Amino acid sequence: MARAWQPDFERLVEEHQSMVFSLAWRMTGDRGLAEEIAQDVFLELDRHMTRIESPQHALFWLRRVAISRAADALRRRRVRGVDLWIEIEENHGAPHEERSSPLGARLEQLLTTLPEPQRAALVLRYQEDLTPEEIAATLESPLATVKSNLQRGLKLLRAKAECHLKEYVRPGKSLGGARADG
Amino acid sequence: MDNPTPKNAPGPSDGFDEFEDKLKQAFLRRPAPPGLKRRILDQRNRRRTARLHDRVVLWQRLAACLVLAVVLGGALTWRHIDQQRKGEAARNQVLTALRITTRTLNQIQTRLAARDSDE
Repeated sequence: MARAWQPDFERLVEEHQSMVFSLAWRMTGDRGLAEEIAQDVFLELDRHMTRIESPQHALFWLRRVAISRAADALRRRRVRGVDLWIEIEENHGAPHEERSSPLGARLEQLLTTLPEPQRAALVLRYQEDLTPEEIAATLESPLATVKSNLQRGLKLLRAKAECHLKEYVRPGKSLGGARADG
Repeated sequence: MDNPTPKNAPGPSDGFDEFEDKLKQAFLRRPAPPGLKRRILDQRNRRRTARLHDRVVLWQRLAACLVLAVVLGGALTWRHIDQQRKGEAARNQVLTALRITTRTLNQIQTRLAARDSDE
């Protein structure tokens, strides 16, 4: 049976390269590695093009494979901690115009110090604006685990931000509870 | 598969608190590095060319194997037929020799019988 939608690889790359690259960068904290991951993900997409059924399926597939490849790369390289992240950033640093705001960059640095499942959940939640159910489908994890990772990750990130970022040291003011469960 | 469409735009009133709004702003998608798409497409073309080359090499090897099998099979068949032909020729030679021997023995026996009757 002929499919109504015919995938156009070049167009898919054009549309989703930013998303895949950003996911990989935030998961690994390494720009060069993120570029390699993005390339691998799209080349794997090319090999699986016949199985892609719709634009939404392509987007879902790209998110899942990008997170999975980034996790594999992290396991291989064992990237840990802010210091290493900064070292890598110096080696593979983005051009100045690509950098986010100082606060954003520091939040990203803190993100890389979180455990990998929490990082994946937070990136999908706040970069891709996915609901916990959608994150659970993407990561192929139980919903309860995803909600737990979101809450713990957000709590940890908030604590680290209050500890390390002067913008968040506000005596007497709470930053509010986590509402990451959608 | 029911998959979400990313909205990816920071909004202060999506049910997020202040910190989460900051996170959304910090975690906006970054632009892909310049040339990433070109590198992906180049690598894809290289892989396709390599795959095509591999396929051609595979077919060439298969064809070579087929030719080799045909040549080997032909040689074995020819050898078998040649041996049969040589065997047949040898058998004919042996039969001819036996016929000559039989005839000679018969002649000798006839001469001996004639000498015995003369005596």
